Amino acid sequence: MKFTVVVSSAPYGSQGASSAYQFCVSALKAGHQIVGVFFYQEGVLNASQLVSPATDEVNLPDFWAQLAIEHQFPLEVCVSASLRRGIVNETEAKQLSLAQFNLKPPFVLSGLGQLAELSAGADKLVQFL
Amino acid sequence: MIEKKIGIINRSLPHGSALGRESLDLTLAMSAFNESLSLFFINDGVYQLLDGHNPTDSLQKHFQPLFKMLELYDVENIYVCEQSLLQRAIEQSDLLIDVTLVDEQQLKTKLALQDQLLSF
Repeated sequence: MKFTVVVSSAPYGSQGASSAYQFCVSALKAGHQIVGVFFYQEGVLNASQLVSPATDEVNLPDFWAQLAIEHQFPLEVCVSASLRRGIVNETEAKQLSLAQFNLKPPFVLSGLGQLAELSAGADKLVQFL
Repeated sequence: MIEKKIGIINRSLPHGSALGRESLDLTLAMSAFNESLSLFFINDGVYQLLDGHNPTDSLQKHFQPLFKMLELYDVENIYVCEQSLLQRAIEQSDLLIDVTLVDEQQLKTKLALQDQLLSF
């Protein structure tokens, strides 16, 4: 089965994003396909390169990046939700004359249209709040 | 490919969090790609449609006028839980846009028709 996962919560402070990650791992292990993961609302914070938990704690952005690279699915991050929360890529930083950018590869900023595409390509859409 | 029926459930107050606004942003954006959207307003979500918000004093974006765009974008399946209105003493005539009132059973039926759901 093809799954699209929507992550609506931050990497730390609530459990939603961790559950989303574990869902993806389990689905892949069971032989399903992850079409893509779309990060929206507080979920965009999962794409920050600057997330730096203590060394004995989980770094969820790292986990997402590794999983996406290993299984070749996109990590799409809503650009308007991102910019409002200080998640910026190099292009946006230049356009907005910001001194820094912090989007972690392989996360990419994309529009909500991309969610429509991920939804259309999936049998099931699962959202983690 | 047959278009997926997508239901967007709104359960939250219009302000206090960005849930309502980001749900509406998502709805308007998705409507360009999918003509089978249905919106559901239940529980405190019905307050989003109660006319007359003025949130700028509390530094919140006044996004309520954007609900009028739904008609322009051909999002016509807008279902509001009758019970939720009743519990909050809101009349249908107090609402900003035209909606379809549904009772609990109709709500369940409509939700079951959807291929995918997003909740805010």
